[in-house]
Amino acid sequence: MTNSIGELKGAEVLLVTGSNTTETHPQIARNILRGVDRGAKLIVIDPRKTDLAREAHIHLALRPGTDIALINGMMRIIIDEDLADDLFISMRTEKFTALRDYLHRLDLDEIATITGIDLQTIRDAACIYARSCKSVICYCLGVTQHTCGTNNVQAVANLAMLTGNVEKEHGGVDPLRGQNNVQGACDMAALPAVLPGYQSLANLEVRERFKAAWETDIPQTPGKSLTEMTHAGREGEIRAMFIMGENPVLSDPHLGRVEDTLQHLDFLAVSDIFLTETARLAHVVFPAASFAEKGGTITNSERRVQLCHRAIKPIGNCRPDSEIIMELGRRLGCPGMDFDSDAEIMDEISLLTPIYGGIHYDRLEGSWGLQWPCWDRDHPGTSFLHKYYFARGKGQFTITEHQEPREGVEEKYPFTLVTGRGSYHHYHTATMTRNSRRLVREYPEALLEINQDDCEKLGLQQGEMVELVSRRGRVRVKAQITDRVQPGTVFTSFHFWEVPINRLTIDALDPKSKCPEFKVCSANLRKVDHD
Amino acid sequence: MKENFIPEPAVIREIITQNEQIRTFRLELQDKTKAFTFLPGQFLMLSLPHCGEAAISISSSPTALPLIDLSIRKAGKLTAAIHEMKPGAQVGIRGPFGKPFPVDSFSGRDLLFVAGGIGLAPLKGVVDYCLFQQELEEDSVLSMTLLYGSRTPSDIGFQETIKNWQEQGVDCRLTVDIADEKWQGDVGLVTDLLDDCTITEKTTALVCGPPIMIRFVIARLSSMGCTDEAIITTLERHMKCGMGICGHCHLDDKLVCVDGPVFTLAQLKTMDVMELG
Amino acid sequence: MIDLKELILPKDNLIPLLRKLKKEARLIAPVQNAYGDTLFSEISDLDSAHIDLDNQPQSSLKPFLLPQQEILARYQVDKAGYTFTPPEDEQETIYFGVRSCDLTAVLYMDLIFSKPVKDTNYYARRNQSLIITLGCNHPFANCFCEATASGPYLEYGYDLQFIDIGDCYFISAGRIKGADLLDQWSYFFREVQEEDRKARYQLLLEARGKFTRNVQVAHACRRLQKEPDPEAIWEALSRRCYDCGGCAYVCPTCTCFSLDDMVLDDTQGLRLRSWDACTSSGFTRMAGGHNPVDRRCHALKRRFLHKLKDDFARHGKVSCTGCGRCIDICFGGVDITTFIDLVTAVEAS
Repeated sequence: MTNSIGELKGAEVLLVTGSNTTETHPQIARNILRGVDRGAKLIVIDPRKTDLAREAHIHLALRPGTDIALINGMMRIIIDEDLADDLFISMRTEKFTALRDYLHRLDLDEIATITGIDLQTIRDAACIYARSCKSVICYCLGVTQHTCGTNNVQAVANLAMLTGNVEKEHGGVDPLRGQNNVQGACDMAALPAVLPGYQSLANLEVRERFKAAWETDIPQTPGKSLTEMTHAGREGEIRAMFIMGENPVLSDPHLGRVEDTLQHLDFLAVSDIFLTETARLAHVVFPAASFAEKGGTITNSERRVQLCHRAIKPIGNCRPDSEIIMELGRRLGCPGMDFDSDAEIMDEISLLTPIYGGIHYDRLEGSWGLQWPCWDRDHPGTSFLHKYYFARGKGQFTITEHQEPREGVEEKYPFTLVTGRGSYHHYHTATMTRNSRRLVREYPEALLEINQDDCEKLGLQQGEMVELVSRRGRVRVKAQITDRVQPGTVFTSFHFWEVPINRLTIDALDPKSKCPEFKVCSANLRKVDHD
Repeated sequence: MKENFIPEPAVIREIITQNEQIRTFRLELQDKTKAFTFLPGQFLMLSLPHCGEAAISISSSPTALPLIDLSIRKAGKLTAAIHEMKPGAQVGIRGPFGKPFPVDSFSGRDLLFVAGGIGLAPLKGVVDYCLFQQELEEDSVLSMTLLYGSRTPSDIGFQETIKNWQEQGVDCRLTVDIADEKWQGDVGLVTDLLDDCTITEKTTALVCGPPIMIRFVIARLSSMGCTDEAIITTLERHMKCGMGICGHCHLDDKLVCVDGPVFTLAQLKTMDVMELG
Repeated sequence: MIDLKELILPKDNLIPLLRKLKKEARLIAPVQNAYGDTLFSEISDLDSAHIDLDNQPQSSLKPFLLPQQEILARYQVDKAGYTFTPPEDEQETIYFGVRSCDLTAVLYMDLIFSKPVKDTNYYARRNQSLIITLGCNHPFANCFCEATASGPYLEYGYDLQFIDIGDCYFISAGRIKGADLLDQWSYFFREVQEEDRKARYQLLLEARGKFTRNVQVAHACRRLQKEPDPEAIWEALSRRCYDCGGCAYVCPTCTCFSLDDMVLDDTQGLRLRSWDACTSSGFTRMAGGHNPVDRRCHALKRRFLHKLKDDFARHGKVSCTGCGRCIDICFGGVDITTFIDLVTAVEAS
């Protein structure tokens, strides 16, 4: 996030796109709702009528995968209505002219057709967003999990820069990160092409510093992305894998290929707190300690590095992740992986990672944490990013063009299948949440959201089983008739191993981020007669 | 001593298969010296190993004590588990709980029982109890009529019981929603059977079944002139403690486990109840 | 109500007194931990514990008298059969620094765990407890106990009530147990002077003027008794309830619970009682799937009506104690004060 979570409640306009915030980020939703209660206008872009969309002043229920067309349309309207922030554009951005010329060539009626939203609604949303100078955009995986995910994000950035809604306290572009520490994992370079703190592998000086600290050679070329690794197939280049706290056998797209890849590895080791579906395939399983059994830090969506204390001793043979990594590292010939305490690990992070430069355990102790960038011991941390400058200097406008999802609907597969988190009660592949009796009671099984109109056509009643088929696989799932989805679209979650929906999803990737298109694939369904 | 929630061990003495979905489990307390009594309409909290507890209404009459019948339909985890059990197995019971049917006020009344599916279970104890009273003394109920609806002929439960009742003078009329080739009886909803019944000021109707059935039967009975006090039903709700503390079975300011489960229509009308629509 | 005894405790004598009390019983008080959170906690070492009497404790006494998860029985399944063993009895516990709202909540729990059946497990703890309250001279930001008649000072229900009157505490004994304690440790106290009484009275008057929230509890209560259910309000608020259960868990008077078995292995397990929330759909859903409560429009109906209407009808007193804890916990912004504001606003328009 460029903003802090608490700033959201002070915004005048909140544009939330591709985020089911009340269910996936309740504490951020709290701030959004507080903002709304204080008079802020809420615009929600989502093909589904989520709980937050029901609270929205304007809900733009777009056809899945048409985000770029919608944002381009909004920008065109903003220019036509003379609501662009000319001063900001000229002072802080570049390459605006090309974008403006492109937008002028757009046909707004065509935008309405592509997105399935009526033009006046788009116009209202655009004007509300542009008229305020305290407008915030929050986006989540509904924006990024597309083959055009990177361009979707660029389009969102264009919109924010066009109206000058960046670089300030109550204005900005805020990606909501999924897992509690996914921001921290990215910061620590759980990414193919960077070293901690987003320092490029291509930079010799950086490599040398890490080489000195870790006493081992640092590769010069980027590694592979997750989906490239888990979808390499039985003849894949990678022969051994170590998977930590991830359950790709349920969570990755096109599961048939994932299973094929993992089952044919020469060696698979998995570290997790429970014996997940993936761990069952492993040659070796490391029992990892849970959050309560270890110390460390968690970096949340607003870049806040927070200290966690161990509450109980690890049970049985469990060991904290850090110990597992250090032990493996040492045995694999990386003698530098030798730390006596979590604080010592953080000391190394701050030495090697400029954005964490001033973050030390003694500063985190007894505080609410520090937000990076925090350059040195005297730096108070940064509540919102890009004050005075963007990370790259000037903000660059880039033209983004609408691109249809990889799979369109057709006669054989007339439905669009959208996947995501299905409920407040379960998280990811429910490895943890299905161990809670109360959460299971509240949400016991997978449900397929389907519109009433479609049900009538299929002769489907509430709670009946349907078989859902895509080009890649099939599952059986219980139908939930709802107005949350539009006719022609169905939605379900990936929480339940009994309904491995990712057998159906497509492994088409965004060419830059390598993020799979979880949000759109074509499917068909039929009612299952009683066996 | 923290004894409130400690179940009393009981043994399954006999299992009677009523149909594919319903079985009757005849229990006896393991400690035969324990004082235990109840009245028709009350329920027990039944514990099964590793399954927790569920509220189950008693389907026998106290006159059959020390044996206690629980007629159970497979609906969730616990009920499925007991269907797998064999005679001799141990279970735990707490109770009895809840307000019973006002059996003492039934003398001199024509009782009309209207049941759907497993809804016959709580009424069965009343019929048995009244038959026992009839044998004992003169001033008992005037007559008993049972209207019993099932989905299909194979869903009909308690067939043996019904045959016995008929021999003892209970007028039993059965209907099914969907007939098969062999079925020669009535086809239709249990409300249709009411067409052939007469309601007088001496009639007391006892109704139990799925919520939607209760709603239609009550409406029909009222239109036939049955008073709100003379229509008695028993409600099913999610229950945990059985003794009016846990809050699950709330109905406005009432709790079904202590203020019910038996209610007259007059009482139900003061509350917001799904059975009344 | 007339107090059994009144005495003055100089503040310097507080810790020495607590030291004596701790020898005979478990001592629970609001303690600020290293992260700045003030929670009722058991004190093991009086010298290192930071007893915090300046901030509102984030928890109430509920976790002690009705634990979030309580073992009701251990069960065994083996050749001997299917048997249940009740848990151990409780130890004597003294609660110090309890706020008026939280004591009121305990009195409410006393009521509902006694009728129609006495809850043996609750009373095993309650009978072993002695509660020392601290009257509030400075209501906290979300407090509205005056509107619920549960503060800032109390007139009955406590074993002892402490009022901070400057350099000493004005102490009243409301129950025999409290009076006995004063007798036992008489040399810690001095007699009450007229000016002590005046100071106490003055502080109460001032405290009553310091509430920042104006919550029309009595007014809402009257309207709910007399008028039809405000269906439109239920629906609007329920849409904003996301079923986190937070309100019920922090509420000192939400006592609804669930019973479940936790399997330890094939032959044994625990029967547990744990907090539950009427805002959850699984709270009322039956084994067959029927649910008498439609969460979409009535998620919050039971919660608010129970506290403001049903309990008033049954016990003559609302069961909201005005502690305000549910206000900050609700991320949908639909706490009980939102409801009361809406119910009372209807008339004004």
